[in-house]
Amino acid sequence: MARQQGWFALILALVIAASSVCFSQPFQLGLDLRGGSQLTLEIQPTKDITEIQPEQVEAVKSVLDRRVNGLGVSESTLQTIGTNQLILELPGEQDPSKASRVLGKTALLEFRAQKKGTKDEIKELQSLRSLLIRVSNSDSSPDGSKGIEKNDELVKKQLELLNNSLSIKDRAGSNAEQIKIIKRALNQKILELFEPAELTGKDLISAGRRQEQNLSTWEVTLTFNQEGGNKFAELTKSIAGTDQLLGIILDGESISEASVGEQFNVAGITGGSATISGNFTADSARELEVQLRGGSLPLPVEIVQVRTIGPTLGAENINRSLIAAMTGLFLVAVFMIIFYRVPGFVAVIALSFYAIFNISLYALIPVTLTLPGVAGFILSIGMAVDANVLIFERVKDELRRGNTLIRSIETGFSQAFSSIIDGHITTLISCIALFYLGTGFVKGFSATLGIGVVISLFTALSCTRVLLRFLMSYKTLRRTSNFLPGHQIPSSLQ
Amino acid sequence: MTSSSPDRAKLSFPVSRYRSRIWLVSALAVIISCVGLISSWLNPSIRYPLRPGLDFTGGTQIKLERQCLDKCTPLKISAISKELQEKTLPEEISTSIPNISTARVQFLDGYKSIVIRLPFLSPTQAEQIVDILIPIAGPFEPGGKAIDTIGPTLGTQLLKSSFISLIVAFTGIALYIGYRFDRTFAFLALIALMHDLLIVCGIFSWLGIFLNLEVNSLFAVALLTISGYSVNDTVVVFDRIREINSSQDTLKINQKVDLAVSATLARTLYTSCTTLLPLSALIFFGGDTLFWFSIALALGVVIGSWSSIALAPSLLTLRSNIKIKE
Repeated sequence: MARQQGWFALILALVIAASSVCFSQPFQLGLDLRGGSQLTLEIQPTKDITEIQPEQVEAVKSVLDRRVNGLGVSESTLQTIGTNQLILELPGEQDPSKASRVLGKTALLEFRAQKKGTKDEIKELQSLRSLLIRVSNSDSSPDGSKGIEKNDELVKKQLELLNNSLSIKDRAGSNAEQIKIIKRALNQKILELFEPAELTGKDLISAGRRQEQNLSTWEVTLTFNQEGGNKFAELTKSIAGTDQLLGIILDGESISEASVGEQFNVAGITGGSATISGNFTADSARELEVQLRGGSLPLPVEIVQVRTIGPTLGAENINRSLIAAMTGLFLVAVFMIIFYRVPGFVAVIALSFYAIFNISLYALIPVTLTLPGVAGFILSIGMAVDANVLIFERVKDELRRGNTLIRSIETGFSQAFSSIIDGHITTLISCIALFYLGTGFVKGFSATLGIGVVISLFTALSCTRVLLRFLMSYKTLRRTSNFLPGHQIPSSLQ
Repeated sequence: MTSSSPDRAKLSFPVSRYRSRIWLVSALAVIISCVGLISSWLNPSIRYPLRPGLDFTGGTQIKLERQCLDKCTPLKISAISKELQEKTLPEEISTSIPNISTARVQFLDGYKSIVIRLPFLSPTQAEQIVDILIPIAGPFEPGGKAIDTIGPTLGTQLLKSSFISLIVAFTGIALYIGYRFDRTFAFLALIALMHDLLIVCGIFSWLGIFLNLEVNSLFAVALLTISGYSVNDTVVVFDRIREINSSQDTLKINQKVDLAVSATLARTLYTSCTTLLPLSALIFFGGDTLFWFSIALALGVVIGSWSSIALAPSLLTLRSNIKIKE
């Protein structure tokens, strides 16, 4: 009896500890329960690097980490999945496009000097470019609802003009495709007018942004390191006061061409800092700043999955799964009490302990709760009583054979043991397979189901046993009819 | 199937007597399932044994909840499709312009929510689709938006990892049963398992043909859970057969199996019930994400119980005696 009390105290202590954990520890809710965005990024191999090593994944991750922090989304997490993927979670963020614009780009910044004697060419190309921007804006006007057809004629005409002046032969079906072709060709032509780069984003220390004086547009400020500052001075000196421009090229696309004033032809622009002004809005300046400050990505990254869930949908999912969990628990409880009476009642108490232990472990480990994860938990409620059902059926068998109650209970527990172990291990094997090979929510589901299997082994074997023994010390409960509803007469199986 | 005279007071099911009928039922179910899988495969609009969903094919799904006071005004699918057909999305670096004229539109909950399936879009392009829809179907609930985008490569990857985890789980379970019992038992448990999974897949292939129901990675998770559950059930029956085999050695194999099945029948049925009860709560209250997932699990539980009560033990009676590790 003393050992009994020890067990009893232990279980009680565990229940109290678990309940206090449930109330004090916060749960990690998945995005499908709280709302937000999740982006899966895949690191792409290049011609030089065909195999992606863990170090490269780390390098990409640290750059992305800096960029994400630059975005200022609170509580964001970035984790590595498998060998070449990263999952970025942005809780509460409803518009993942901002993150995607910043994350996906390699942000390779270059400064190039214009080739001598190409003044007229660049002027012409610049004017073609501004025409193209106007055309593409009118082709996909944001309100979209009207004017497309009316504009279509004009857009087509202007595109044809652009095609001719750039002597482009490719013709695409839609205007948008054609705009893309022209843009590519135009950019290529502009780049041809510049010398290869000597100064790149690698020489940067930091980047910032500020609003241009008396204008609503923004500019991005750059600070170079010692070497970069020298290179920049050299570069600006070489073209100061000439017709040549300084090309600022981001990811192989010329974003602006600046002239350098004559006053710099002695020493160039010194001091190691520069500004880029290219009609930036507050947002686009911030994005470029974040990209530059985070450094360039060692490998290109592609977004392969984006999930966005609104907060009300998330809250709705929580409500739904709570209702389902409570209903499930209640139905199982009613079932067990109807079919097993006193031991059924004990099983229900053990089941409540099971639920409390589970939930507190989710908070402790911590398990990120997702909708399928909660489903795994609800499902495990039904499966958790299986061990009890196995035991109680054995007890019934023993009672039918005419054994005494206490003896039947003991035999029931020991005889059901091997089935319970075998059954739990086979379920656990599929959980482990799911956990190691699955990704994302599949992992969440298998984690909750797997934890459930292990805990149910404990609650069904020890909690039920201890509670049952404790209750058996009361004489009124020690009647066979409490264990064998409807069939008091002991009968043998044969 | 049950006899409950007061002196027996126990469910019983003489498996060996109904052997041929059990096999007929299972064989028919398997054949109907195979026909479903094959006709789905031959169906030009599916071309897979099961209609693959977004997770496996890649693409974008946008779900929007409309802001309506009482009842939502009905909308025509064709109107929305037409609107999308007239629009082109702006280009993005590294992606070509997606063809949104192939969008599939669906209404749920009496026009309360709109679900649109599109090719793979960037987040910005997906936002633009929402903007296009506002004048026709808006306004939308600000927090009621769900956008899922899955790249085509990720889809095949998910499919591959689902397959691999199924095979690993199978192997693990077979090895464990082989170790605890013997090879025949492991083989029979795997047969029962395949039978269960095949029928669940078959039912879903028919649902794919007639209701356009698609399977996603949750379905793969359901299959894995079913395999764990089904084997668990079978193992309990096998365990009892082993026990009776050693305690009542003089009986014939048929009698041993019948006795073991009858002895575990109540347990198997009760456990199915206690698993089906929370599942039905999920079916009714879990929402549309979990609805078909729970249906698949519930089917798996029912079929799994059948295979462990009837199919696996009845196949065991084909053997002349039982030799199992003690």
